[in-house]
Amino acid sequence: MKRIGYMIREALTNIRVNQTTTIIAIVTMAFTLACFGVFLLLYLNLRGAVGALQDDIKVIVYLHDNLSAQGLADLQQRLTGEPEAAALAYVSKEKALADFRTQFPSEQSLLQGLGENPLPASFEVTLAPRYRSADSVKRWTDRLKAIPGVAQVQYSRDWIDNLAAMIGYVELASVAVGLLLAAASVTIIANTIRLTLYARREEIEIMRLIGATGAFIKIPYLLEGAVLGALGALLALALLKSGFEFMTVHLAGPGRVLGLTPKLGFFPIQVSVWLVLAGLSLGTVGSLVSLVGLERSRA
Amino acid sequence: MIQLFHVWKYYAKRPALCDITLQIEKGEFVLLMGPSGAGKTTLLRLLFCAERADEGQILIQNKNVARIKPSAVPYLRRTMGFVFQDFRLLQKKSVFDNVALPLLVQGLSSFDIRRKVSEALKAVGLEHKKESRPAMLSAGEQQRACIARAIVNSPLILLADEPTGNMDPDLSAEIMELFKTINARGTTLLIATHNRQVVEQVKRRVVTLAEGKLASDVGAGQ
Ligand SMILES: Nc1ncnc2c1ncn2[C@@H]1O[C@H](COP(=O)(O)OP(=O)(O)O)[C@@H](O)[C@H]1O
Ligand SMILES: [Mg+2]
Repeated sequence: MKRIGYMIREALTNIRVNQTTTIIAIVTMAFTLACFGVFLLLYLNLRGAVGALQDDIKVIVYLHDNLSAQGLADLQQRLTGEPEAAALAYVSKEKALADFRTQFPSEQSLLQGLGENPLPASFEVTLAPRYRSADSVKRWTDRLKAIPGVAQVQYSRDWIDNLAAMIGYVELASVAVGLLLAAASVTIIANTIRLTLYARREEIEIMRLIGATGAFIKIPYLLEGAVLGALGALLALALLKSGFEFMTVHLAGPGRVLGLTPKLGFFPIQVSVWLVLAGLSLGTVGSLVSLVGLERSRA
Repeated sequence: MIQLFHVWKYYAKRPALCDITLQIEKGEFVLLMGPSGAGKTTLLRLLFCAERADEGQILIQNKNVARIKPSAVPYLRRTMGFVFQDFRLLQKKSVFDNVALPLLVQGLSSFDIRRKVSEALKAVGLEHKKESRPAMLSAGEQQRACIARAIVNSPLILLADEPTGNMDPDLSAEIMELFKTINARGTTLLIATHNRQVVEQVKRRVVTLAEGKLASDVGAGQ
């Protein structure tokens, strides 16, 4: 419709006419959103890492060396029957030794002195997803320890749970920082639009006098806010992406030396789209805030 | 067409209009006279819903504008035209776009807009300047553009506040002739002026305000 075309043209004209203010607003907005983006990136990566680790949790049931073949078969059957166990892998004494040798080739001498194979046979149990909570694992392993033939039960749970708790804090911080920066973004856009409104106050007055409705007058400014917000978010994503690439290239080297090759990921496309939509919404809200001021100034 | 009953308007407790009762019939041409500060602009602003009366009733086409909802004001204004002393044209837009604005806000098609704007510009004799910016026009031409914008929507009522305020007598007479032509087509006109010459030029009903009060109402001198 003709009116919509007019509104879009007006919004674009405003953006073009106030180029300096517009650019400053977009850049400020981009840095603000990028700050939030850093937290979000950290949070998503940590969560992803912990998720992967949690999937990987195995309970290792070490067996007594004197367990008979029949005892072993009984135990295997019993473990398979447990609902907690999703998968079961038997690691014989010989395999344990071979694994040790391949994993720690420099420690060969350590074993040579002992003559006999000191490593116990074990079952590696992969937990069913429903039973991965800290409580459930603890209860189950306690029960397993009481079974005859089981020497020891080990699971690498604690530090993962600590990490999960830490992620809770990062999440909390992200929300707090996000709210703060959202308020800052709204203020930035509101001030920018207020400048435009001030520059065009005569025009707005004329539009009112010739019978333009409030919506007709305001929509171009809402569009302007939305465009500024979305452009700010896009620029923020670009900043984050280049920062992220720089980090992965320059930190991958030292990381590898330390034996850590973290699998860092940038935002998936949905999150990027959400960020742009968030910028767009914040811009619109900022514009609304300044337009409320316009109504008051008229009364 | 326009009726005022005991209308009062105060600015900071000082009355700008006192107990104004006035009736204007359809098709009338009324001059609103009075020295500067008499309340002419205030009266026009009340009719245009740019201000609210503190007391009394104002009926325009039998609608009570003293009680009108703010959201209904734009629609009321679309039935009226307004001409300003300082023209109030958008400097960044061409004459054509300025005149088209009242139609654009109502969502008319490009075709209708082009047709109506051409008619209005022809009526004020400004067709040849439609691509110009207001700043490139003379005062008389700018006022013609402003009048074209006011009549483009075929309003029933045309209000003008000192439309010849800064003009020499010849130019003033020319603009008044234009208003007469518009009035002859059936539009009701109310024109505020403090210039006695205009009375000679128009020779129609003259309502005089003095210090916010209705001082005289001299009937149509036809
Ligand atoms: N917005 C306003 N605030 C305060 N006083 C005003 C305002 N507008 C007009 N007045 C006062 O109301 C009186 C009438 O003004 P106005 O209607 O502009 O007169 P005119 O148009 O006849 O010159 C004047 O005394 C003026 O000072
Ligand atoms: Mg005045």
